[in-house]
Amino acid sequence: MTQIEFETGGSVWKLLVGVGDTVEEGQTLLILEVMKMEVPYVAPASGTIASIHIAEGESVSEDQLAMEIDS
Amino acid sequence: MSWKPEVDEIERRRALALGQGGEAAVAKQHRQNRLTLRERVDHLLDDGSFEELGPVAGTPVHNEAGDLVSYDPANFILGFGKIAGRRIIVGGEDFTMRGGSPSAAGLRKSVYAEDLAVQYKIPLVRLHEGAGGSVGGTGGKGASLPGPVNAPSRFRSVAQAMATVPVATAAMGAVAGLPAGRLVASHFSVMSKSTAQIITAGPAVVERAMGEKKTKDELGGWKVHTKNGTVDNGADDEVACIDEIKRFLSYMPDNINQLAPVLACDDPIDRCDASLLDVVPRDRRVAFEMRAVVKAVFDKDSFFEMGKGYGRSQITGLARLNGQTVGVWGNDCKFLAGSMTADGAHKARRFLELCEAFTLPIVTLVDEPGFMIGSQAEKEATIRHGTSAVLTAAMTTVPWAAVMVRRSFGVAQAAHYGPEAYVLAWPSAESGPLPVEGGVAVAFRREIEAAPDPDAKRRELEEMLAAKQSPFPRAEALSVHDLIDPRETRPELGKWLARVQPLLPELLGPSAFAIRP
Repeated sequence: MTQIEFETGGSVWKLLVGVGDTVEEGQTLLILEVMKMEVPYVAPASGTIASIHIAEGESVSEDQLAMEIDS
Repeated sequence: MSWKPEVDEIERRRALALGQGGEAAVAKQHRQNRLTLRERVDHLLDDGSFEELGPVAGTPVHNEAGDLVSYDPANFILGFGKIAGRRIIVGGEDFTMRGGSPSAAGLRKSVYAEDLAVQYKIPLVRLHEGAGGSVGGTGGKGASLPGPVNAPSRFRSVAQAMATVPVATAAMGAVAGLPAGRLVASHFSVMSKSTAQIITAGPAVVERAMGEKKTKDELGGWKVHTKNGTVDNGADDEVACIDEIKRFLSYMPDNINQLAPVLACDDPIDRCDASLLDVVPRDRRVAFEMRAVVKAVFDKDSFFEMGKGYGRSQITGLARLNGQTVGVWGNDCKFLAGSMTADGAHKARRFLELCEAFTLPIVTLVDEPGFMIGSQAEKEATIRHGTSAVLTAAMTTVPWAAVMVRRSFGVAQAAHYGPEAYVLAWPSAESGPLPVEGGVAVAFRREIEAAPDPDAKRRELEEMLAAKQSPFPRAEALSVHDLIDPRETRPELGKWLARVQPLLPELLGPSAFAIRP
């Protein structure tokens, strides 16, 4: 299980995948808005989205779990 | 009668010294997947180049009749050696004896390391594993007598070494107390992720004093210390740490009175990297990879990043341009938009001090939106740390070139331009007192609120003001030296470096300001 955690705080601008989706390595999973910059989070490995712990528009903090990929 | 008995005794002591803490202690060190200090020194130095200093220093052990029955070698190893043909001083605690906690002779050798480096004006490498003092003292008869009140400060030589020669250190195992202090009193420090912890005090002391139950790794493992700036880098194991130290020293001069070595360069200085034309997205909200810019501009594979794990909005490291060492400082807009945070400013300040101390020209790749904002940033005293970086930049005397890659805003941007910096702007450059997105909402609040469609009004104002932050008017006003095609960055920086190179010898010698950990 690969865990995607936020490296900084910010707000979730776009959530681009849903639970059960198949993703390829390098695919953008979500875009975090930080200080008016869009910071994409990409899949470190191919797999299936096992769980999602955040929603669009949500404010998140550093080290918070965003989602898990079954890879 | 010859001196054969004494010579035999010398040989016996030499052999005992090479045996370190004995077979059992060495085996234990290996069982815990750590090298011994002598093995570390072997990995560091060119074959056969180690010239040990004080190899027979140690503590004699006598029986009741006063005869010498054995002898404990000093648990600090010190000497001269060569890395890629260049002489250095190397020292380190020997953990196989007293867990690296200094014996009387070990302490003498340990504090001699900095003196030697300053005396011979050559780089100092310390490979640390050990605790500091013990309440039992350094052991041996008379050794517990406290030092005289007028003894020179042990730390003065540590500070002098940092002001005179490159100092590179590694944490190889558990490092605490004085060795931990000396670990960070360096220009470059690295810790082994698999074997090292850095702790001011270990779990037993912490539990007694604080009631906090933590393991060594929880207190001071790499996950803690590569993120907070205690060390510059983390490396997988001890050998990888040693390789990082060798790489760091390859960029550095031997001392502050010499220039860094210039290597032959097979990467053409007039190379124009096509990827730079579109590396910065036109949409100002979309982040890009500043490390890709670094890679495209400097000599192939020459970038050595320092402090990647902390102050992450800033990127600092050494690189080569046409074979010559330069300090490189960029912003990473993928981390907190590249803003100047408290820890990023601390990292930058130390980096500027390093470049100034060793007369390394500085190249900045600027994408600075300003100081980090918000309650966390205020709690971290961002303005103080940031201003410290700004004033450090203002006090430097080394040549600077600044490439305005994208944003250059606020007080924080001033840290990216040293005095008389040679300034090149890309077409994507924007500059001003603050980014329009933040400024418009404040300066035009009433106008925006009164508009029939406030969002549309805000966007209209932002676009109007963004146009004013374009680099063309700045170039017309000679506010920058030149506006360039991003692909020309490498050749343009190459021309700058060739112009400033003849100025460097005059800048050698002590810096106007001290370099501190």
